[in-house]
Amino acid sequence: MTVSHGLSKTATALAQREARKLVDELNGVTAAVIATIDGFSVASAVTGGLDPARVAAMTSSIVAISGVVSEEARLGRQKSVIVQTESGFAVFCSVYRRDVELVINVIAGESAVLALVSYRAAQLARTLADTSPFHA
Amino acid sequence: MREYKILFTGTVGAGKTTAIGRVSDVPPVMTDVRNSDTSIAKERTTVGLDFGELTLDNGDRVRMFGTPGQERFAFLWKILVRNALGLVVLIDNSRPDPLADLALYMSGFSEALRTIPCTVGVGRMETHPVPSLDDYAQAISGTGRVFPILSVDVRNRSDVILLLDTLLMQLEADLGGENE
Repeated sequence: MTVSHGLSKTATALAQREARKLVDELNGVTAAVIATIDGFSVASAVTGGLDPARVAAMTSSIVAISGVVSEEARLGRQKSVIVQTESGFAVFCSVYRRDVELVINVIAGESAVLALVSYRAAQLARTLADTSPFHA
Repeated sequence: MREYKILFTGTVGAGKTTAIGRVSDVPPVMTDVRNSDTSIAKERTTVGLDFGELTLDNGDRVRMFGTPGQERFAFLWKILVRNALGLVVLIDNSRPDPLADLALYMSGFSEALRTIPCTVGVGRMETHPVPSLDDYAQAISGTGRVFPILSVDVRNRSDVILLLDTLLMQLEADLGGENE
């Protein structure tokens, strides 16, 4: 299997740096995975033995399924999904670039602040979209 | 009126999304996105699920779900097969090792296949006749199972209906056996 995600080396390095910053800077965040829309990890920072490849595939599925829900409900293009659990949450964001569509998954424990993580994940999505070579 | 949940699985590019779309009475739900895997000659690929509905002549309704084909989405196979009454496995005979492809799904769905019937549809046999349907039958019997195996072109609605009919016949037979 050969994966060609189409993201430049510079953009990949930026994604890697930003994923690491999210995990390092936000209290309670245990993983940040940036993946292609079809579920291949592009950049990641994970703790606690999470497998970025598995997280990437799951992120792609969740974002795709929530996308058809948004479409069915005529709510427009989906931006993010939040899964809240007994001991934390996961935030999923879509990154719309013209060269390649990406998805972000940030996973956090109960000590993390949802609003803050959600804001930073959305900010990361914007940053990655803004570095698109075709960005207007 | 009875409702059946049938799951379509199988190789990437074998036509799961096409099959469901070809027979669905409602606009199918599709979650296909741009494919990054250059080893697969396909522009888009399913990463979530496909869904369609078919009402049979007797009023029974078949709810069809499709899985992504790639093994990295095996976590979804386990979710989507829950409460399914039957499984359709689609194989693309033009791939390098279709029997290995079949083995992947036989293994991935082994738990469900203990209790639900299955039909195997093999595509592109007209251009790639090997392995033959007998080869498939032999491979399946090697796992201690017996499933109908059909040569199909899922672009033809009648072929997809035939797959479903075959599966539903097995289901009826199983239910009849239970009721005796």
